[in-house]
Amino acid sequence: MRLQVYHRTEYFYLEDAAKSSNELRLTPKITASQDVQRSIISVLPATRLEHYDDLNCNRVHYFTIPEQHNRLLIESRSIVETSKPNDLDSLPYGYTHSELKTGPIPEECYPYLQNSTYVENTPEIWREAVDIKGESEDVFQTGYAIMDYIYSNYQYASGTTTAATHAGDVIRERTGVCQDFAHAMTAFCRALGIPARYVSGYFYDSTRNRSLRGSEASHAWVEIYGGKAGWIGLDPTNRKVVDDTYIVLAFGRDYRDVAPVIGTYYGGGGSSRLSIRVQVDRL
Amino acid sequence: MFSRYELGHFFDEMYRREDGGAFEHYKLLENRFGELDAQALEAKQLLVNEGFLEEGITFTVYGDEKGTERIFPFDLIPRIIPHAEWQQIEEGLTQRIIALNLFLNDVYHEGRIIRDGIVPEDVVRGAAHYRPEMQGVKVSKDNYIQICGTDLIRDDSGRYLVLEDNARCPSGVSYVLENREAMKRAFPQLYSNYRVRPVDNYPDILLDTLQHLSQRAGHAPVCVLLTPGVYNSAYFEHTFLARKMGIEIVEGRDLIVLDSYVYMRTTQGLVQVDVIYRRIDDDFLDPLTFRKDSLLGVSGLMDAYLKGNVALANAVGTGLADDKVIYAYVPEMIRYYLDQEPVLESVPTYLAWRDTDRAYILDHLEELVVKSANESGGYGMLMGPTSTKSERAAFAENIRAEPRNFIAQPVVSLSRHPTICENTSIEGRHIDLRPFILYGEKIEIIPGGLTRVALNKGSLIVNSSQGGGSKDTWVLHS
Repeated sequence: MRLQVYHRTEYFYLEDAAKSSNELRLTPKITASQDVQRSIISVLPATRLEHYDDLNCNRVHYFTIPEQHNRLLIESRSIVETSKPNDLDSLPYGYTHSELKTGPIPEECYPYLQNSTYVENTPEIWREAVDIKGESEDVFQTGYAIMDYIYSNYQYASGTTTAATHAGDVIRERTGVCQDFAHAMTAFCRALGIPARYVSGYFYDSTRNRSLRGSEASHAWVEIYGGKAGWIGLDPTNRKVVDDTYIVLAFGRDYRDVAPVIGTYYGGGGSSRLSIRVQVDRL
Repeated sequence: MFSRYELGHFFDEMYRREDGGAFEHYKLLENRFGELDAQALEAKQLLVNEGFLEEGITFTVYGDEKGTERIFPFDLIPRIIPHAEWQQIEEGLTQRIIALNLFLNDVYHEGRIIRDGIVPEDVVRGAAHYRPEMQGVKVSKDNYIQICGTDLIRDDSGRYLVLEDNARCPSGVSYVLENREAMKRAFPQLYSNYRVRPVDNYPDILLDTLQHLSQRAGHAPVCVLLTPGVYNSAYFEHTFLARKMGIEIVEGRDLIVLDSYVYMRTTQGLVQVDVIYRRIDDDFLDPLTFRKDSLLGVSGLMDAYLKGNVALANAVGTGLADDKVIYAYVPEMIRYYLDQEPVLESVPTYLAWRDTDRAYILDHLEELVVKSANESGGYGMLMGPTSTKSERAAFAENIRAEPRNFIAQPVVSLSRHPTICENTSIEGRHIDLRPFILYGEKIEIIPGGLTRVALNKGSLIVNSSQGGGSKDTWVLHS
């Protein structure tokens, strides 16, 4: 599927801000199921843009604006050719919990089993995860059950959480947005020993009445390690196995590793207004 | 028809140099034209020309005593661009227009690219089309160039190169639309056998682009096209576009500025104007700010513009972006603002204001094309290899006198395309390509653009004012 993305982030500061430095993770990743034809990031006030690749191999652009400014505009334009990661006729069942426990797993999995900034393991989370897993012996089946559990029992509501809400809070309050659902799912998976990473990106809502949740801004979901099947994307916000309507920007341990736009500035009058727009079109 | 076609030592759009066979995407065309004899071809050409004359699709040549009104010669053999090639062009142009807009934003505000030593300050501030009036002015949607025509050529290996950007009032798009209509009439079957991407939505996208600029909230944007009038070389195009978009075409005298707002005189009284698609250069916009002798502009327009009460497309001051010295820095701009390598390469350029470059230019005038930094339309140019001694001497003198105003480039042997010439013989003629880029809420590039062809044998100058013609350009679906 050829998808075109326009992602616009604009900050308005109450008073002039200065010495603003920012990091952007807005470049779609090149993966087996995703080919990037275009990715252009532009920043106003116009300034020099530079990049490096982080520990998770995400492309990070960065810039600084030393002078006074009262608004900051970041635009990202991409065209991505996606293909189905899994043949959806044969879902990646067949990798068992005992295989996961005994067999060697790739080194890249280990960071995604540990606690991270927003995702921590507690006895309560473990207890709940074990209940969700039930009799399942299959990793994908368990992952799907966790996704289904969150989708069915949590309330999708913006404004109830912030960018800094932890997985534990989400699991207790059972409410939040895609970021929170992804954190909660990551926590449940890790509690059961399933390597789980947090993914940021976009999706194209192909439903007739645009009924999917989270398409108005950048989206977040989870990838679990599925043995031979590799990393399998699961979207607890929409109860969907990730397919070719999804575009991956970055992955990491949690939101902290992949925030599309993150930065600091001085001044600004103590508050800023943020406007975000994401538009995904099929070409 | 193609049996006596000579390839020459150039990249040919239709035939491979290795074995002389037609490229895959030209095979259908080769077969179709193969069926035609000279008479049939002539008949088709006549039909098309009559159509153009009837519709008044003409342009004006300045400084020619034979009369000024001409049809733009049209060649029946279309140029065909495969999907993958077009995709690369599209990527390169998108990247380029974003970088140029950021550059204008930057130099009319903080000027970081100057401070960081990427583009020299005197190159910017010394450009003929740099507008100090625009320093620190926020333009509508932070967007300077809404409509850009970027000229591309192909070198002898078939590589696309950017020749220049036209970021002021690029013209020619009406021919793109009319040429397409003509081809559909002349070769309906061939046209539908190829899966050609349509171009006829250009006026709709242009209108969206203009309306997007309106700064009056809660009111349907009123857009007008401002023309210098019937004597302008592109007047046909002005009327054509205004009609297709369904907006008023106005001259300076139809507009009036009251309390820093722009109004159009109509039979129902004054109507406030939000966006002006001006097909008139900065210099003539407002006699109060720019040329005092201009009768074409509107007094007080700049005042309304600077207060944000009316938007202009393109913005004032975009001539800086198509200055031919600035052109040499565009690849650096792309690296600086976008942190990317340019997708489309540029033609190597020597800048006469650099001492070493100037010495080289003066020593190699015979091999180089010398261009004046701010002229367009093929005026003010020296084609080294075909120039006379006295022409070269005159240019050398000008270059020494005004180094900032000249650049030189090696002669790129433009690609050739089979073209119908005298006695309906088919010969190779040099071509270029001007795609049109619209930058509104989205960036849209009309598939193809205007392919111009230098009809005079051996000529590399494709401008309509200098013996150029045009072809329809077919960009294919995948």
